[in-house]
Amino acid sequence: MSPVTFRSVRDLPPMSRSADTMLWNRTGSWRFLRPRYQDKVAPCAEGCPAAEDIARVQILLGQGDFEAAWLRIREENPLPGVCGRVCYHPCEEACNRGEYDDPVTVNSLERFLADHAWKLGLTPPPPEPAAGGGRVAVVGAGPAGLAAAHFLRRLGHEVDLFDARDEPGGLLRYGIPEYRLPMDALAWEVGLILNDGVRFHGNRRLGGDLTWDELSGYDAVFLAAGTWKPAPLGAEGEEHARDGLALLEAIRRGETPEVSGKVAVIGGGNTAMDVARSLLRLGAEPVVYYRRRLQDMPALPEEIHEAREEGIPFQTLLAPKRIEPLPQGGFRLVLTTMEILEEDEGGRPRVVPSGHPDVEVEVDAVVTAIGAGPSEGVPAEVAGGGGLVSEGLHLKRIAPEGEWADRPPVFVGGDLVNDRKAVVTAIASGKEAALVIDARLRGRDAASIWPSIRVGRRGGVSMNRYLGGDRAAQQDHVVRYDELNTIYFRFQERRERPRITLEERRTGFDEVKMRISASLALKESERCFHCGQCDQCDNCYLFCPDVSVLRDLRAGTREINYDYCKGCGVCVVECPRNAMVLEEEPR
Amino acid sequence: MRRVLEGSHAVSHAVELARVKVISAYPITPQTHIVERLAELVADGVLDARFIRVESEHSAMAAVIGAASAGARSFTASSSHGLALMHEMLHWAAGARLPIVMAEVNRAMGPGWNIWADQTDSLSQRDTGWMQLYCEDVQEVLDTILIAYKLAERVSLPAMVVLDAFFLSHTYEPVEVPDQDEVDAFLPAWEPTEILDPSDPRAFNQLASPEYYMEFRYKIQQAMEEALRAHDEIDAEFGQRFGRSYGAVRRIPCREGERAPLALVTTGSVTGTARVAQATLREKGTDVDVVKLKLFRPFPHEEVRRVLGPYERVVVLDRNISFGSGGIFAGEIRAALAGLDRRPRVYPFVAGLGGRDITPQTIESIVARALGDEPPADILWEGLKL
Amino acid sequence: MPIELPVHERMYSGHLACPGCGAAIAMRFLLKGLGEKAILSIPACCWSIIGGPFPYTALQVPVLHTAFETGGAVASGIRAALDARGDTETQVVTWAGDGGTFDIGLQSLSGAAERNENILYVCYDNEAYMNTGVQSSGATPTGAWTTTTPTGSPKPTRKKDIMQIMAAHRIPYAATASIAYPEDMVRKVQKAVSLKGTKFLHVYAPCPTGWKVPSEISVKLARLAVQTRIFPLYEVEDGVRYTINLEPVGYLVDEYYRTQGRFKHLTREDLDRIQAQVDENWERLKALARIG
Repeated sequence: MSPVTFRSVRDLPPMSRSADTMLWNRTGSWRFLRPRYQDKVAPCAEGCPAAEDIARVQILLGQGDFEAAWLRIREENPLPGVCGRVCYHPCEEACNRGEYDDPVTVNSLERFLADHAWKLGLTPPPPEPAAGGGRVAVVGAGPAGLAAAHFLRRLGHEVDLFDARDEPGGLLRYGIPEYRLPMDALAWEVGLILNDGVRFHGNRRLGGDLTWDELSGYDAVFLAAGTWKPAPLGAEGEEHARDGLALLEAIRRGETPEVSGKVAVIGGGNTAMDVARSLLRLGAEPVVYYRRRLQDMPALPEEIHEAREEGIPFQTLLAPKRIEPLPQGGFRLVLTTMEILEEDEGGRPRVVPSGHPDVEVEVDAVVTAIGAGPSEGVPAEVAGGGGLVSEGLHLKRIAPEGEWADRPPVFVGGDLVNDRKAVVTAIASGKEAALVIDARLRGRDAASIWPSIRVGRRGGVSMNRYLGGDRAAQQDHVVRYDELNTIYFRFQERRERPRITLEERRTGFDEVKMRISASLALKESERCFHCGQCDQCDNCYLFCPDVSVLRDLRAGTREINYDYCKGCGVCVVECPRNAMVLEEEPR
Repeated sequence: MRRVLEGSHAVSHAVELARVKVISAYPITPQTHIVERLAELVADGVLDARFIRVESEHSAMAAVIGAASAGARSFTASSSHGLALMHEMLHWAAGARLPIVMAEVNRAMGPGWNIWADQTDSLSQRDTGWMQLYCEDVQEVLDTILIAYKLAERVSLPAMVVLDAFFLSHTYEPVEVPDQDEVDAFLPAWEPTEILDPSDPRAFNQLASPEYYMEFRYKIQQAMEEALRAHDEIDAEFGQRFGRSYGAVRRIPCREGERAPLALVTTGSVTGTARVAQATLREKGTDVDVVKLKLFRPFPHEEVRRVLGPYERVVVLDRNISFGSGGIFAGEIRAALAGLDRRPRVYPFVAGLGGRDITPQTIESIVARALGDEPPADILWEGLKL
Repeated sequence: MPIELPVHERMYSGHLACPGCGAAIAMRFLLKGLGEKAILSIPACCWSIIGGPFPYTALQVPVLHTAFETGGAVASGIRAALDARGDTETQVVTWAGDGGTFDIGLQSLSGAAERNENILYVCYDNEAYMNTGVQSSGATPTGAWTTTTPTGSPKPTRKKDIMQIMAAHRIPYAATASIAYPEDMVRKVQKAVSLKGTKFLHVYAPCPTGWKVPSEISVKLARLAVQTRIFPLYEVEDGVRYTINLEPVGYLVDEYYRTQGRFKHLTREDLDRIQAQVDENWERLKALARIG
C-alpha cells in the first residue's frame, strides 16, 4: 500500500526521516458518511409566485455581475423592472433573515438590477429557434399575457398578442399611476418582450372584432383579459360615482380629469390608494372611506402608509349608503356606520351596521375603487367561474365541453382567475400557461412534469427547471432558519430605498421611490443568507481537517476529493447556508 | 602553548577550540566549572556560540538535540543525577544520529548525596547509543574533546567524554593547548546534510514501525563498529598532528618488550595512580602491566582479546558497580575474553566507590590478592570496612 | 462574510488524524499563519502519529519529532542553531498537545519562557491524553470523563489556567485561539511571528473521539466553547495587557456540555457549579481586561 519501501537496510537513511508525503494514504477508504454539495430551495424562491431564484440572484449581484443577476431573474420573470416597483414581495415575508433581524429588501434589489440593465441598454440574448412550435393566441397584454407571450416565444412558439387597448401593458400601463411605475420603465421592459418576435395587435377587443372563430385558428389560446368592469357599489345613487380605474386610465393617457375639491374615494384596496394619491397630485382633496378598519384594508401596508404620509385622511367603518346630488353642485354622501362582528381566523372580519346614526358628508365627487370584474366579451364560463377546470396554481382552462369541445384549448389566467390579484401572480399565470401549452403542443404531460418544476411545496413553477437548467439539480427542500449556521452572519440594518420629498410627492407624479446606488445594492445584498445555495464562502474548504476540498479559484468551483475525505461532516455543519448534505456512503 | 589548566577548564577551552556553536547546560557539581567558563567565553565574545541556560539537564540535552538537528555543533556537560535525568534524551540523540559531544564528570549517584568520583553514572548510560571515552589526565581530557567531535561527526553518533570528579575536574595540570589553526585543520566545520531546512522540508524522528525500527538499530550498531576503526584512525591522526595519541586500549608494560604475569586494567584517573603503583611494585619485585581502557562504547572486543588474552591473570579495577552483577568493566572484559580457548583468570575488583581514595597502596593490595591465593569470585571488594 | 485566509496550503491530505480532528484543523490554520520559512518541533502528542510514519510526512515544513517534555527546550536549541548561522528569519514553532504543555512539558516551556526564547509555542488543547487513549491531563475540565477519571469519579478539579501561568512569565505575547475562529487564529499566529521573544498560543481543538461526540460538530463545539465563555478568545501582551477579542454571546454552559458524551453523567447541580466557575473566570478576565 505504501509507495516507498526499502528492501535493504543499505537503502535506509541513517535515522527515521521522511522521503515522501502521506499522499499515498487514501483516507477516503475510512469514510462511511459522504458530504456532497447540494443546492436547496431558499424560502424566498418558494415565496415568490414567479419562483424567481432570488438567492442565486443575490449571489450574482454580490459578485458584481449585475447583468447575470438580471438575466437570472428574467429566466423566471420577464418584468423585473415592473415587479421591482409594484410587487407585494411575498419573498420578503418568507425571508429567513426576518428571523435574524429584518428581511432583505429583495424588491428594491430587483428594481436595481432591472434599472441597471435599462440604464445600460442591455438586451437579453434572442430566443433560440426551436422546432415543433405551435401558434398561440394570447388575449390581453397585461402582465399575464406579456409573461405568457414572452415564455411562449422562448419556448419556440409563434405568438399573437391581442389587446383591447392601443398599447400593450394592460393594468400596468392603464391602471398603475406614474409615481409608482413610470411609463418609460414599463415601455422599456415591454419592448424587450415584444422584441423577441411577439406580434402585438392593439385595439382588438374580445367580443368586439376579435372573435372565437379567429381564435379557433390557433393551436391554443391564453385568455388574460383582466378585470376592468367596476363592481357595483350597492348604494343608492351610485350612478353619480365615477369609476376609479377609468380615472387612473385617463390620467395615464395624459388627460387631466376635471376633479377638484373634496373627493370621496370609496375602497380600501391598492386601486383606492392609487386613486386617492393621484387625486392629491392633481390638486384635489381626497378622503378615503372604507367599510372596515385600517388594518383590514387589502391595500399593501406600504401604500396605505405612503398615502397617509402624504396627508390623505382615512375614514373607516363607514359604508356608502346613498349619493345625492346637491343643487349647488357636488354631492351628499351618506354613509352607514359599521362595526366588527367577529374576527375571522386569517380572513377579513365581517362587518355589520352598528346602529349608530349615519354620517353625512358633502363632497365635490365620489370615486369608487372597490374592485372590478371581467369585461364584456369574456365568456360566461370564465366570468361566472363555473366552466373552468384547474390547470395549475394560477391557471385554469375552459372546460372542453359544448362549443369549447371543438375549439383549441383555452387557458385562463391573471386577474380573471387569481384570488390574489397581483402583478406577480398574473406573471405566474402567464408562465404556467406557456409551460402547459408548450408541454401540450410537444406531447408531454404537464401534470406529470409539474411536481419536478414546482419550487418547494408551496411555490410557483420554475422555467429553469422546466428547461432542465441548474435549478433542476436543486434538492426541493426549503431551507428553514434553524437549518442555517447563523454564527457566520452579522447583524446588519435593512436598507430601505430612499424616496423623494413629501412636497414633491404631493405636487407631482414623479416616481416616489428612488433608484438605489450600486454600493447600496451591494451592501444590502450582503445581508442575504443565500439559503441553500453555495456562494463559495469556502467554509467547507477552510475547515476541512483533511485538505479535501479542492477549489478552482478561476472557475469559482469546488469539489470534494473523495480520495481523502474521511467523511467527518464538518463541512456540512459549518456550511452557513445549508448548501451541503451528509449522506451514507454508498457501498 | 603550555598552560596550567583545571580539568574542567581544559574541557571549556577544547570546546572553544572546536568552535562549538550551541552550548546548553544545567549546573551540577562537579560539572559547574566547565559551563561557568564556557558562559564567560561566550559572554566575552571569545567563543561565538549561543549559551542556553536551561532549567534542567533533560532540557539541556533536548536543547542540544534541537541545535544539532538544525546543524549546529553542540555541546553540553553534566554529571551523575543530571546525566540520569538526561537518560531519555540520550537515547533520542543517538537514535537521531546527532554528533553531540558531552563532557560527563563521573560522580556518584544518591542517595545518600555524594558528589565524589564514581563511574556508575556514565556506565548506567551504556545502552543509550553514546560513545564513551574515559580520560586519564587533564591533557587527555582536552585532546579527547577534539577527538570526540571528529569521531562523532564521522559516524553520526553522540560522544561522552568522561572525566573523574575532582581528581580531574578540579585538578590543575600543565597542559599543551593546541593552536586554533591546528585544531581547525584537524577538525573542520561540521557540514551535515540531514538537517532541518525549510528549503528541503522533511520530518525527522517520526514513528518507525516494526517494519523498519530494527534496521535503524542495526545501523546504529554498524556506526558503533565503524567508530572503533574511526577512533583508531582519528587518534592516529591526532598523534601525527599534535604528538599525542591514546588508543582505545593501551598496554603500559612494566618492562618494555616483556609480558608481566598480571595485567591490571584501569580506566579514568586511576590509571595515573596505577602507573605510580606499577613503579613501586617493580621496585619491590612484582611486575605488573597496566592496561588502560579508554573506549568503553564502542567496546573494543578484539583489541581487549588481543591485549589481555595472553596474560595469566587479569585484574579489573572498577570504580562502579552494577548491583546484582558486579564491576561493569570487569563484566564487559570477561564477556570479551569468553570466546578465547585459553583464557586469563579475571579478578574483578570493586574499589573507590563514591570518591573513596584509590591510592597506590590500594592497588598494591589488589595485586597482592590477585597474585596470592584469592579464590576466584564474581566480585571482589577492596577496602571494604569488614 | 467569507473568511479570508492566506491561500497557501502546507498540509497534505492522507494524514492519520481521526475524522473531524480539531488538531488537524488547527495545524492547517497555524501553517496558514506562518510564513514560508518555519520549522516545527513536535513533542509527543497526537500529531506524532497524525504526521505519518517513516518514511513520510504530512507537512510541507521541516518537523523535528521529539520527546514528550521537550517542547520548550528543543525549540530553544533549534533557534540557537539558526541564530548561530545568521538565520533570524525562519520561525521556530513548537506544536504540542495539552499533556505536553500543561503537564510533562510545563517545566521546559517555563524555562524557555523565562529565557524569553524567540520561539512560538502552540498548544493545541484537546483536554486529555488522546493519543494514549483519553487519560486525564491538567487540561481536562471539571467533571469530564476520561479513562483515568471514570464516570464514577470524574475529574474533580479545575482545568489548569495555562494562560495565567504563561502570562506570569511576562512573555511578550500569549493568546487563546480556536479552530472555530480561523481569522482570529491566523491573525494571532501572524502577530506572534512579528514579535521577538516567547509567544504562546493556546488553541482549542476538540477531539470527537475522546469527547464522545459526532465528528461533524468538532468546529461547532469549539465555537460553543467560546460563545459560552468557557474558552474566551483573548490576548495578553507582556503578561499584563489583556484584550478580549470576541464578546461571547454568553450561552449557558449546558449548550456546550449537553452535546458531549464525556459530560453526560453530570447532574443539574454539577452544571450549575460549572456555570458558576465559568462566570467567575469570565468576570475575572473582564476585570483583567479593564485594568489592561
